[in-house]
Formats: sequence, C-alpha cells, structure tokens
Amino acid sequence: MLITVETLSYTYAPGTPLARSALRGVDLEIRPGERVGISGPSGSGKSTLVQLLAGLLAPSSGQVSLDGAAAHQRAPSARTQRGRMGLAFQQPEDQIFESTVRREVAFGPRNLGLDEDEIADRVRWALGMVGLDPAAMEERIPFTLSGGEMRRVALAGILAMRPDVLILDEPTAGLDPQGRQDLLRRVRAWQEETGLTLIIVSHNLDELAQVVDRMVLLEGGQIIADGPTRLVLSDGELLRSVGLEVPQTVALLEALGQRGWQVRTDRLLPEETIAEIEHARKLEGAL
Amino acid sequence: MNLLLPGMYVSSDSTLHRLDPRVKMAAALLLMVIPFAAPNIGSYLILAALVAIIALLSSAPLVALLRTLRVVFWLAFFMFFFYLFTTPGQPLIALGPMIVSWEGLTAGAVQIYRICLLVMIAALLTFTTSPAQLAHGLEAVLGPLARLGLPVRELVMVLTIALSFVPTFFEEIEKITKAQRARGVDFRSGGIAQRFRSLVPVFIPIFVSAFRRAEDLAIALEARGFRGAPHRTRLHRLRLERQDLVASLAVLAVILAAIGLERLI
Repeated sequence: MLITVETLSYTYAPGTPLARSALRGVDLEIRPGERVGISGPSGSGKSTLVQLLAGLLAPSSGQVSLDGAAAHQRAPSARTQRGRMGLAFQQPEDQIFESTVRREVAFGPRNLGLDEDEIADRVRWALGMVGLDPAAMEERIPFTLSGGEMRRVALAGILAMRPDVLILDEPTAGLDPQGRQDLLRRVRAWQEETGLTLIIVSHNLDELAQVVDRMVLLEGGQIIADGPTRLVLSDGELLRSVGLEVPQTVALLEALGQRGWQVRTDRLLPEETIAEIEHARKLEGAL
Repeated sequence: MNLLLPGMYVSSDSTLHRLDPRVKMAAALLLMVIPFAAPNIGSYLILAALVAIIALLSSAPLVALLRTLRVVFWLAFFMFFFYLFTTPGQPLIALGPMIVSWEGLTAGAVQIYRICLLVMIAALLTFTTSPAQLAHGLEAVLGPLARLGLPVRELVMVLTIALSFVPTFFEEIEKITKAQRARGVDFRSGGIAQRFRSLVPVFIPIFVSAFRRAEDLAIALEARGFRGAPHRTRLHRLRLERQDLVASLAVLAVILAAIGLERLI
C-alpha cells in the first residue's frame, strides 16, 4: 500500500489553553514493502504521525492517503481499510481484555468479519510468528502470563489481521535485552515472510539500525532528516543536536577516528563495525 | 485530549488563580446555592453577570469554558422538557394531551439556567485551583471535624489523589479506545446492545490498569513512610491577603443585592 502524506499538520486541543501543535507541514511517501524507522526526541510528533497514518486521528490540515484514499474516514466501509493498517501502540499488552489467548488474538480478525476456520488458522499462525506455541497457549488466561508473553500475545492479535502496513510504536520498550533482540529478529522475519510495509517508531537507534532501511527523523513536529538508515544514523552531529543517542557502533568509530584511526563511521551493525576496525588495523600494519 | 472538561486544572496566573482556595471554595458553594434560593429574573441576571465577570478574571478562554457545558447538554435538555410539561399554569399551546404553559416555559428555562450556572462555577473553580490547593483549602475548611475523630487529612488525601488522576484516566481511555479501533472495533455504528458490547474491550483494560496503578501508588506511599501523621506541617501556609478580602466582600455584596432585589420587587 502506498502511503502519501502531504503538508500534514496536527494540533491537539485546538482553541483551548492546552492547544499544542504536534506536527507542522510534514511531507512523506512510504512505498509498499519499505522498512522505515521513525525517531526523534520526546514530543517531536512521532506517535501523532503514526496515529494519523493509521487513520485514528483526522488531520488538522493537509492529508494522509493510502493508495489515494483518505486514511481517516468515518464511513463503515473504512473498517476494511483499517484492517489493512496494523498499529501496535506503546505497551500493546495494555489493550488485552479477553478471557483466553485464543479469543484475544481472534478479536481483530473477527472484527474483519472472517469465518471461524480462517480465524482459527490465523490465530495459530500469528501465535507461531511471535514465538508462542499455539497448542500450549491458546487456552491460557492472558492476565496470568508474563509481561513479555503478554506483549507477544498483543502483537499476535495485530499480526492476525494480516495488515499491509505494520506500525510498531516502541515495540521493545520494557523488555529485557534478550527479549528485545528476539522481538527484533522476529519483526524482521515477519516483514520478509509477508512483504508488508514496516514502520517502527523508536528512540533506540541501535535497534532501528538492525531492522530498517530508511530513517525519518522528527523534531518539533517537522521532518529534519529522511534517507537511507546508514546515512542518517551515522550523522552523529545531527543526532546529538536533537538529543538522540548515537548508535554505539557509530560512537565507537567516531571515538577511534578522533584518536587518529582511519575509519568510516557509517558502519551501523556490530559485524560491519568489527570488519571496519580490522580493516583499519590491517592498513596501519601495512604502513 | 481534545476537550477541556470540568474538573481539569489549567495552570496560569490570573486574578482568580491567585485567590485563596478557601475564599474560592466558599464563594463557589454560595453561588451554587443562591440560584435555587432566588427565583426572580432580576437576581438571575445579577448572578449571571457576576459569573461572567469571574470568568473574565480567570483568563480561561471563553469558548473552551462554554464548551464544558456540552457535558450537561442532555441533562438540561430533559430537565427543560420535564418542567415544560409538568408545570401547571395558563395553557399556551396544547399538543394533544400535553399542555405547554407560560409557567412551564419559564420553569424549564430556569432549570437550564441553574444547571449551566452550576457547571460554570464548578468549572471555574477547578480551572483556576490546582488539586493541591483544593485539597489544602478543603482541609482548612473541614479542619474542625478532625476533633470529632474524622480522618480529615486522609479523606482529603484520597480526594486529591482521585482528582489528580482524572487526566491520566482520560488519557488512558483515549489510548485504549484508539488501540481497539485499530483492531477494527467500530464504536459509532450498530444498535445499543452492540455499542454497549463494543465498550467491553475498553473498560476491562481500564479497570485492570486502574487497579495496577492503585497498587503501585500504595506501595510508593508505604515505601516513603506515609502514615497520615496527625501533626504534619505544611510548606505553604494559606494566608488571607487583601485581594481575598476584596473578593469575598464583592461576592457577598452581589449575593445580597440578588436576594435584596427579590424582597424589593
């Protein structure tokens, strides 16, 4: 699905003393199957932007179109449209309400009006995708699961709707390091298996570097950078200027560069960084 | 949060914000009772004018303030028709068995006036008084009851906590509502039964999180040794300034005028 955003602005509580402008004139195009990361300091408009993309908010001005149709529609036909955009809010486990894991995951597909066999298939598929064993989990009560398991159940509930676009808002927040890595690997695998468009909002640039190919940086409700992940995330100066933490790999290469090493800083993944350092050592040895 | 609701505090530095919370609370209480005691068009106008002046002094945007009245729209609507058809008097129009009288029309209008005034006064009080100040004022007013063994401080504490969680609560409802809409729930269509059912996916998570929050808060209070000590002192003490005296006198004068007018006419 092609997402087109044109001169999009959004203001919370307009006309009250609490009015706050969250987005000002954002232009963006996301093509089908892209893997896009969105980052920026707190209050930069990230969450507002993804809610507008998902059609949950109506733009104050400008527009968001999905394959040419407005994202925010009140008409009942918009229900099917909504099923094509999967959005997991921060801490998606907060939205769990059903009495069993199976019913919880089936909730979204059921709202799409699918038949029972299809729903059952999707529940099993989605639980498998998040790394939970359907046979063992389906009849369990979600509220008795661990935090990490609840997060997976919630994400399965969204995957089961088989969206064309999957938007994850801080998907790894609050998980332990192993849980984070596992989730990121799985997200990457979902994207590769289904070919869906992936949009991840996060503060953690190290994590984004592992999953997305394109980075969009927001500050004060405006896009300040939009380009290949390698380019945007290796610009330490830019990242620091908006208060973001530079990826550790980039920070390491920068520090080596300051000590006179001949290294490039646009090596984001740990393996790339190791290769770059080894390369630099070899060059030095050759001299 | 796209609404300014009664019960929300808007931080600012207006004349009304600076007044002593005790004065504001007493004035609010009086102004809420008086419209029920002064059934006379002249006194209504005087009171409405007073509330309008107070609203101007609060630096709250008037449009947003008036919008809070939406909360009681249906209540006012039903009250109006209830009084319209049940007040006996000179028939004006007859709609079948229903008789609309001039008295009914005025009685209905008076009900709307009273409800609107009540909401306005309550909204103005909470817009301009922070939960902490409200609690402080309440504690001062209820202070004497502590001698009768009533745990005033604890009650006020509970009230303060409840008030300060109102915005959080609304944010949470909004977040969960959006999350479930993203999963295909349609809150706007279907019959009453279906709409009611569509609220379940919102209310269960809200209850779960409210209980979790309460538990966390209880632990946090205990961890910091909260015992509701009876002789706790305050960092900020309430002291009546000249502006408080002026405000009190002004409100009293207007109220007396409103009641006096009734006697005269």
